[in-house]
Amino acid sequence: MYIPRERGMPPGVRWPAADPDVLRPYDELATRMMPRIVDGLRHTEIGERLPAVQLERPKEEEQAKAPSLARASGRMAIATLTSRITGFAWKVMLAWVATLGVLYDSFTVANTLPLIINELLLGGVLTSVVVPLLVRSQDDKDGGEAYTQRLLTMAVTILGIGTVVSVALAPWLTSLLMDDTGDANPQLATWFAYLLLPGLLFYGLFAVLSAVLNAKQIFGPAQWAPVINNLVIFATIAAFALVPGDPTIIPTQMSDPKVLVLGVGVLTAMVAQALFLLPALRRSGFRFRWRWGIDERLKEFGGLALWILGYVAVSQIGMVVNTRVLTAGAAGGASIYSNAWLLFQLPYGVIGVSLLTALMPKMSRAAADNDFRRLIGDLSYGSRLTTLMLLPVSAVMAVAGTSIGVALFALGKGSVEDAERLGQALAVSAFGLLPYALVMLQMRVFYAMKDSRTPTLIMVVMTAVKIPLLYLASAVLHPVNVVLGVMMVNSLVFVVGAVLGQVWLWVKLGNLRSKRVLGVILFTVVASGLGALAAVVVGWLVPDALGPVLGAWVKLILQGVVGIGVSFGVLIALKVDELTPVTRRITRMVRRA
Amino acid sequence: MGTSTRGGSLAPGGVVGDGRYRLLAQFGIDERAGAHLWRARDGQLRRDVALTMLVGDPADAEAARLGRRTLERAAHAAKFNHPGVARVLDVLSLGNGISSSEGLLGIVVAEWTKGTDLIDLVAERPVEPGTAARMVQALAESVELAHQSGLVLGLDHPQRLRLTPDGRLRLAFPGPLPDATLRDDVKALGAVLYLLLTGRWALPGGPPAVPAAPRSPTGRVVPARSLEPRVPQELSALAVRTIEDGGHGGIRTSAAILRVLDEAAEAAERTQYIAKDPNVDPDGGVWTTKKPVKDAARRRKLALGVTVLVVAAVGILAWLGMMAISFFQDDPESSGPPVNLADPTPTQQQNPPNQQPQNPPAPQPGANGEPVAPNEVTVYNPEGEGDSVEDAGLAIDGDPATVWRTDEYRQQFPTFKAGVGLVATFDSPLQLAKVKVTADSPGTDVEIRIADDADPALDDTRVVGSGTLEGTDTEIQLQEPTSARYVIVWITSLSGEAPRFASELGELTFLPAG
Repeated sequence: MYIPRERGMPPGVRWPAADPDVLRPYDELATRMMPRIVDGLRHTEIGERLPAVQLERPKEEEQAKAPSLARASGRMAIATLTSRITGFAWKVMLAWVATLGVLYDSFTVANTLPLIINELLLGGVLTSVVVPLLVRSQDDKDGGEAYTQRLLTMAVTILGIGTVVSVALAPWLTSLLMDDTGDANPQLATWFAYLLLPGLLFYGLFAVLSAVLNAKQIFGPAQWAPVINNLVIFATIAAFALVPGDPTIIPTQMSDPKVLVLGVGVLTAMVAQALFLLPALRRSGFRFRWRWGIDERLKEFGGLALWILGYVAVSQIGMVVNTRVLTAGAAGGASIYSNAWLLFQLPYGVIGVSLLTALMPKMSRAAADNDFRRLIGDLSYGSRLTTLMLLPVSAVMAVAGTSIGVALFALGKGSVEDAERLGQALAVSAFGLLPYALVMLQMRVFYAMKDSRTPTLIMVVMTAVKIPLLYLASAVLHPVNVVLGVMMVNSLVFVVGAVLGQVWLWVKLGNLRSKRVLGVILFTVVASGLGALAAVVVGWLVPDALGPVLGAWVKLILQGVVGIGVSFGVLIALKVDELTPVTRRITRMVRRA
Repeated sequence: MGTSTRGGSLAPGGVVGDGRYRLLAQFGIDERAGAHLWRARDGQLRRDVALTMLVGDPADAEAARLGRRTLERAAHAAKFNHPGVARVLDVLSLGNGISSSEGLLGIVVAEWTKGTDLIDLVAERPVEPGTAARMVQALAESVELAHQSGLVLGLDHPQRLRLTPDGRLRLAFPGPLPDATLRDDVKALGAVLYLLLTGRWALPGGPPAVPAAPRSPTGRVVPARSLEPRVPQELSALAVRTIEDGGHGGIRTSAAILRVLDEAAEAAERTQYIAKDPNVDPDGGVWTTKKPVKDAARRRKLALGVTVLVVAAVGILAWLGMMAISFFQDDPESSGPPVNLADPTPTQQQNPPNQQPQNPPAPQPGANGEPVAPNEVTVYNPEGEGDSVEDAGLAIDGDPATVWRTDEYRQQFPTFKAGVGLVATFDSPLQLAKVKVTADSPGTDVEIRIADDADPALDDTRVVGSGTLEGTDTEIQLQEPTSARYVIVWITSLSGEAPRFASELGELTFLPAG
């Protein structure tokens, strides 16, 4: 069922996700499961018995391959980082010019619509089934041309129909996502949805095309295309700031220049992102032709795809309820939430993902070899490292959350009050950072063990906990504070997920050496607590006279440095074993830089 | 022979066979024949091959003769084709691909068998009896077929065998010993089965990596069942009876082995099938004492319990957290209007400082004349189209029951806009002293502004009076009577509560001075 992939793949490359922030642990199936090396690598173990044995592959081959792969992954890292930074930048900039209010809310809701629909139509199936087969089809007699044409025909058809239907249903979709009892303005969101939903076609096409390119060993364009997308949005935001009008005045009109500029601009960005890939595709020698039919091989994957579809569907239900609750609260809820969530994810995106990239291939191999001892070892090590790296960060986040919000979002037209609310949302949810990272790690382990069912079931439980808690938040809290409650519920749900993941992994694998993980968590909690305390004290020293934004920056930097410094100082003083390789690694990285 | 097994030149990366084969990794040594087993890369056809390299001194006539014999037998086997045996691709002998200086007597080149080393397979723990039977079955078939054509395969060494990805054992390094017989092949089948079941090698000359099978004081191999209790009787007996040379009940043909293996594999699968049932029904009785099954079931129950506990705990935590949020953030309104730093919106520039509701100034008694009806009333909304434009006339139609309503706002003014109002146009200027507002919108803050035309900018209007609507009739006295042709009743604060703000004006009456 799982396909050995013999081609070299730079370690950093992920399967294309048009939005890097979609939770997709199942992409592990596509990226890591496939390189199950049936023949090879095991033989190195012989070396332990027979000293005469060393290499299993001739050296020339290895040398010829290695540098290009390393260079490719280096370039990839730059591209990914650039696209992430620019992606975050435009969201912040939009907050400066549009304020975290009704307009931004409506835009956010409308902008998630193509994402959700694309994920439901293509996302799960694409990453889990189609892409691995795409890689395998490269060995067909025609170099995979027929399969690719069939795939593109299917994707364009599905996306085309999806686009037409969803545009037609736009008012219904926005009313599904938005609760109009609150401050939200469904009318405005609908105008945006009309403008943004056609982007679904290009958005999905981008994902498919970059999968095709990746399978052809062309990684660059797919990594840089999101940067193009973000650059176009930068221009759009500049234009948005310049045109007059206030589309939030009720009743709104679609012809309001601000609505038109933002909607059409972002749509153009999506189109540009997809078109950017076409020249590369032509250069690779691929010619598109309509070709109908379904590849026989797709059927092998039926059961697997169904569970992943279930995962996608359940997580989207959670997201819809989330958005509804947010829009039922005070204005700015949806936009504050989406930005706070971006910030929340940032440390995981930087630290967690790089850890995963290093660990996952090992864990997948161990899982594929049924070597549970090694798998458990790696899992425990991964959990401990994640704990050490992320807990101090989340402590600082909890203390300096408000400063982060004000420092980033109180510029331009953004108000200090909204920025503070964003920061508070970040602060109350900061404790969820570690559980979140653990959930992502555990789910990947499940998928590495070819178990696509348990992650879906865990997701079901998480969503089942989340929905009532979200409604509780909207009932108990003042509308202005709903967003804080929602972020907190999110983090709590990740706590549920992390415990569940650990417990069910234990059911499957036996003793997980959780005691050691708990020990490290305890140590780190103590250290982070001290770090947080120090950060609070430092925060008092900053005079209020600096003004809100400058003061926030000073506070943020001081508290960040002091908090992290004290936490790691305490950890080093406590002589936590796991820290030594990390410090060594960091010093090496610093030296290399 | 045993002394000649160290081929000095054999190391990974080295080449043999006139440079055609590059050595990749060693997979073992059959010490009895001095045969080094290697994986190599065929440089011409770019594929991997399995090399059985006979190491020895070509000057030693006896060794050379034995080597030739092995090569001949391997060459015979090249005709043989069965999935259980790697195909022999080439046989290199002295002078034919091998120079006398290499320290080699000959090489048997066979296709490479993908899969797992047999010794790796049993290194951790023995194989399930049913699986083991199936594995050996494939091998026994090929032995049976080879024996029918009189070929000896020479599989009596565990490192010569590999397990293919589809779970069959395969002779990966062919090249039988010079003196190997058909009987040796059959014995080897028994020994392989014994190895899979117990992890021990029961024939002489096995590799050092595998422990030798224990023997009873009489010199017989201990049955597999006494080492691994779960091995079924038939399989245990089959292995021992095949290995033993002794007369009673020895199995001597592969056909007989095949028969027993078939039965054993089926029996094992049946048992496994039954053994799985208690998973479904934990109270099934007989099998519930099996430890792993019980363990898994208990773990699952425990996991469910933990799930429920965690969910409950998180629910409580969430509630407490929300209480805390409400407590610390209890009064969001008290934090005042948003403060804009860099670029205050026009909305707020226009906003007059007197946002706070002002009590109407003390009325000036007796200052009023007869009400003057305005010529027309339109909605005044300098920042857009305006609210309920077509209903504006209802505010002067003489019927307080028909009202002009603002739109419903989710936030109080001035969040969306500074305000909204009605502008009354009179044919000629009047000396306005008082405006009477009949409305059912308590709490609405109203300003009376006068303007020079019907649609002025808010900045061009002057505030001449203000008040808060209470009850149904509110009189707003101007600070002093003012001459005006255009009078704006400007709502700066709406009635209602978050998140629904709206005000309605039933009737406006304009009273001039005197």
